Amino acid sequence: MITEQQFTNIYNLHASKVHRLCLGYASGDNEIAKEWCQEAFIKVWKYRKSFKGKSSIETWIFRIAVNVCLGDLRKTKKNITVNDGLLPNNNNDDDNDDDNDDDNDNNESNIKKMYHCIDKLNEQNRALILLELENIPQTTIAETVGIAHGTLRTRLSRIRKSLLKCIKNGK
Amino acid sequence: MENDQLTELWEMQANDSSNFNPKDIITKAKKQRNSQYISITVMSLTVVVLFIYTFYYAFNHWNTFNLGLTLMITSLTFRIILEFYSLYRKEKQLISMAQKSYFAYLKKYYKARQIINFAVTPICIAVYIFGFYLLLPYFKDYFSKGFYTYILISGIFSLIGVSAIIIKSIIKEKRFLKQLLS
Repeated sequence: MITEQQFTNIYNLHASKVHRLCLGYASGDNEIAKEWCQEAFIKVWKYRKSFKGKSSIETWIFRIAVNVCLGDLRKTKKNITVNDGLLPNNNNDDDNDDDNDDDNDNNESNIKKMYHCIDKLNEQNRALILLELENIPQTTIAETVGIAHGTLRTRLSRIRKSLLKCIKNGK
Repeated sequence: MENDQLTELWEMQANDSSNFNPKDIITKAKKQRNSQYISITVMSLTVVVLFIYTFYYAFNHWNTFNLGLTLMITSLTFRIILEFYSLYRKEKQLISMAQKSYFAYLKKYYKARQIINFAVTPICIAVYIFGFYLLLPYFKDYFSKGFYTYILISGIFSLIGVSAIIIKSIIKEKRFLKQLLS
């Protein structure tokens, strides 16, 4: 069974990834993402006795996190407002020039577009790409979502292409 | 923008996980657990008291008052137990299923909830109201006119309040099911 110390280690290792996964599901709404992230880890602690080690602890945590996000009854926001705190840091040093400002503006706009495009994906594809963007190993992603590894690779490449197209064209 | 740039862009976001303290999470989890235990204990005690009352007292002095009271308590208890059970099962599936299976389960779950919302709950409310109606003549005899009116009005308002809460949750669940099926 997971002890308090082990839980702390697990939390420190996975919290930021789980949080960003939730952010993708919450269309960039940091408050909702924080709530879901917390709820996922509360369940990890509450049901730690249920973890039998059939899959890795990482897979189990991501399964819980994805399912927590999936099962929330709140209406999806139509207008996506990405929290400013999540956008790349705008505090440039004095010697930074206008090019940096332009780059930052461009990145901000692309991140907003990315959330908008992720929001358009179906539930399963959204989970797949969010886990992939967090550099989760593909075997873990396949186990988390419940699809074959071969299918996953094909699907991911298709999702990446459609996301890129959407970010570029806004469709 | 190439494939790798998608990952680059994603990683460019400031890492604001606003980390909670793991100890706080454990405390919250324990609190949730305790409140669940308290709710289950209260419910179990209510059921036990109801059974004791019905078998050792009410059956010996059976009248419409006892019938009304029993109908009210059993319909309420049944509905609450059903609610706890369905929430418990949903939580069990959440922690054990992969996303694909859980998604399919959620569709089934909210379809079943529609049956509960549109068939079981109205029956429970009707039984509850009927039980309350059976008690009214006794209240009229035993209590003053003012207090009787108070019981009647507060009973009606409580029912309206509970119905409003139920309707709100039905609308929410219907909308979510529609979202899942789309």
